[in-house]
Amino acid sequence: MTALALVIGAIVAVACVLWVAGPFLREPTVAGAADLFDDLDPAASQALVLAEERDRALGALKELEFDHRTGKISDNDYRDQVGPLRREAADALRQIEAAQP
Amino acid sequence: MSEVGRAALLVCLALALYATVAGAFAARERRRRLAVSAQRALYAAFASAVVAAIVLFSALLRHDFSFVYVADHTSSKLPWYFCLSAFWGGQEGSLLLWLLVLTGFAAAAVFLQRRAQDLIAWVVPVLGICGVFFAFVLVAVTSPFATQVRPAEGFGLNPSLQNPYMIAHPPALYLGYVGLAIPFAFAMGALLSGRTDERWIIVTRRWTLIAWAFLGIGQLLGSHWAYEEIGWGGYFAWDPVENAALMPWLAATAFLHSVMVQEKKGMLKVWNMLLVALAFNLSIFGTFLTRSGVLNSVHSFTEGPLGPWFLGFLCFSVIGSLALILWRLPLLRSKTKLESLISREATFLYNNLLLVALCLTILWGVAFPMLSELVRGTTVTVGQPYYNFFLRSFGLPLLLLMGIGPLIAWRRASLKSLGRTFVIPAITAVVAGIALLIAGAGSSTPGMIAYTFSAFVLASIALEFWRGTRARRTLSNVRWLRALGELVSRNRRRYGGYVVHAAIVLLAAGIAGSSAYGTETEGKLKPGQSLSSGGYTVTYRSLTREPKGNHVELRARVDVYRGGKQVGVMAPGKNEYLAEQQVSNEMAIRTDFLRAEDLNLILDQPNEDGSIFLKMVVKPLVNLIWLAGFIFVLGSVITLWPDAREQRRLVERYQSARAHGRP
Amino acid sequence: MARRRNPARLLIALSVAAVLAVFLLYSAVAGGGTPTVQPSELPGHTGKVALAGQVIGPVKGDAHGAGLTFIIRDVAGTTRVPVVYTGTVPDMFKVDQHVTVTGAMVDGTFVSVKDSMVTKCPSRYVPKHDGETTTNGS
Repeated sequence: MTALALVIGAIVAVACVLWVAGPFLREPTVAGAADLFDDLDPAASQALVLAEERDRALGALKELEFDHRTGKISDNDYRDQVGPLRREAADALRQIEAAQP
Repeated sequence: MSEVGRAALLVCLALALYATVAGAFAARERRRRLAVSAQRALYAAFASAVVAAIVLFSALLRHDFSFVYVADHTSSKLPWYFCLSAFWGGQEGSLLLWLLVLTGFAAAAVFLQRRAQDLIAWVVPVLGICGVFFAFVLVAVTSPFATQVRPAEGFGLNPSLQNPYMIAHPPALYLGYVGLAIPFAFAMGALLSGRTDERWIIVTRRWTLIAWAFLGIGQLLGSHWAYEEIGWGGYFAWDPVENAALMPWLAATAFLHSVMVQEKKGMLKVWNMLLVALAFNLSIFGTFLTRSGVLNSVHSFTEGPLGPWFLGFLCFSVIGSLALILWRLPLLRSKTKLESLISREATFLYNNLLLVALCLTILWGVAFPMLSELVRGTTVTVGQPYYNFFLRSFGLPLLLLMGIGPLIAWRRASLKSLGRTFVIPAITAVVAGIALLIAGAGSSTPGMIAYTFSAFVLASIALEFWRGTRARRTLSNVRWLRALGELVSRNRRRYGGYVVHAAIVLLAAGIAGSSAYGTETEGKLKPGQSLSSGGYTVTYRSLTREPKGNHVELRARVDVYRGGKQVGVMAPGKNEYLAEQQVSNEMAIRTDFLRAEDLNLILDQPNEDGSIFLKMVVKPLVNLIWLAGFIFVLGSVITLWPDAREQRRLVERYQSARAHGRP
Repeated sequence: MARRRNPARLLIALSVAAVLAVFLLYSAVAGGGTPTVQPSELPGHTGKVALAGQVIGPVKGDAHGAGLTFIIRDVAGTTRVPVVYTGTVPDMFKVDQHVTVTGAMVDGTFVSVKDSMVTKCPSRYVPKHDGETTTNGS
């Protein structure tokens, strides 16, 4: 291990430490809540779940329309299914409204 | 120079360790700065892996035989492109490739999702653990940077690896194997954080698709290599090494389908977690199999240094992932149920069951010799008939399902509407079947079934494109081509998926054609004598020897006739490699694009008296397999193409949900 | 149709049963696989086996004619078995190579099934000068 190798090794080690410690060096005096990354509290989590349900129901409706238009679903089947799906979507929308403060 | 490489690997190990520990702590305590610091460590780990790779590449190009690895896998006369590919030609180098791809994908995955800190918080430590394992093995168990007193010459590269496909096949395969670690990390991350919202599904799905596409292409490249190099006109022999790549691919295929059910109906969450874990663990299992020597004998794997480490990591990964899934089982329970056994969801369920069944039977076939040796003391191998039987039993219904799935609607389909949509594809299949029978394809029942099912599937896919384009056209009143473009662009996953299905159908047809309808013959020929098979006649003329670079080419000149006319000249032969002291078979292939078949000639044995033993194989439709590869790539690209609209919707939804939580 | 029980569970149970049935049926019909044995283990096995070992010279004859004759010996032992092989000879075949030949003992000589010889190609992972060989891997 030549002296040159040791020097290079030391430089690399220091560079790594500086790079990894970057966030701390940039904001040295942050503490407490400001140091926490964004996360969803229970209310927000619930809102997200409801929003996903709503989008799922709306997506299913769109897909039903498309399948009907392309002839994959007969008129009878479409009539049978569109009602419940619309109700599901309406339910989801209602739940979202109810959860709003 | 080798010290630089060793140091780089050590740095990589340290960074991965930091990423794991710091990342885990940061995830648990939600510390922002520490989390970013851990992510930076992952990026830096990639950088140091790159440095190590550059050191090895440069040593290979410089023919620096003081590196044990370079001496073992190259020689001074080896062309530069094979020197480069020797990087992954041996144990240590291919492990370094693993580490390079792993850190690279990890850095990319984390970087792309850096704005969703809560999503990647636990992903970082999981990826860190994988990085720690591979870096540790490279630092402490088997290093590519071992040095020796410089010998005069190297041992050279295994001749069967001196082939352009072997330059591309391992990297593609590794991008696939290693790529499966990313969705695995996101899955475990989701379990650890308790968050399984749709963002996780989309990220996991996309990365699985990327890894799956590379794994598929890698296997096709490997098959093509085997077809050209191994020289028996075969492209897949159910070798444990080949199975090692097929199994995770099947598990990933199952996941790509069942994840759609989770997206639409919120069902199958536990199943999907299991599939992602299965795919990754099979990938590690495959690596363990091929590196540990356990294939030779269960007892030999303890002789090498690597086997026990990989087995340990595999056990840790399997037990860890199962434990996490069990722990979060209540979170994964879904309220929705399967509405009807005749629905697209049900079709996906059947598809999953068949794929997993096929995967597990292959796993059993691979593990059986090892188990029988442990239990009875004798290694009992299962032969090709075992695999072919199950491929047919599960593969043919899967083929049919590919055609049925697109024709069934989500949720529920009445038998009547089903009947209507099935009519055209069914008629197409019957017509195709009759035409094939007339053409003489009745000689093989599985072949006929495969062909008719293929016709059914292609018809159903074409019908889907037709109906969708027509509906699009009535909606926006544009020209056909534009309507098709809009249709695909608005439903990239669906229609990209159909293109991939079309590729699989071509693959199935190619496999059926070349295995069920091939012909072959062989015989000893003196100059002027001929062999006939499959409509071709070949006449042997002469034998030549020519030195070329690092090998000597021995070739038999053969004239090819069809229907009485000469259609070409072929030169099957052998290459004798000087440094490596080995002979490799160079099969001559003549592809007839119009008839989509291959004529393969193999110089089995050149004799002292100038006569030869020649083997002649005709393989119909085998080129469909390679064509399928291109279409597979096209379909994957379409499916993977980023959807700006979907991205916006995701971000908006998340932001508005956050706004709810904060008064 | 509204069902109280989830049809998916029934479906999965039936499918698993079906797969198992197919599997068991196959095993019953096709029998077990082929045991791989070393020359020293041969006496215990009748019928078709895969004989694995090291090639000992002299190698004589024509594999595409009357048959290639050589001897297979235990890798780490001394038991020898004379072999007559017909069919394609792999490129890697030579004296001291590890090979596996499928066939059966007939009157003291191991007679091969045609084209059944497989060599264990030198592993990319174990350097040739080590002397050890494992199968090719990726």
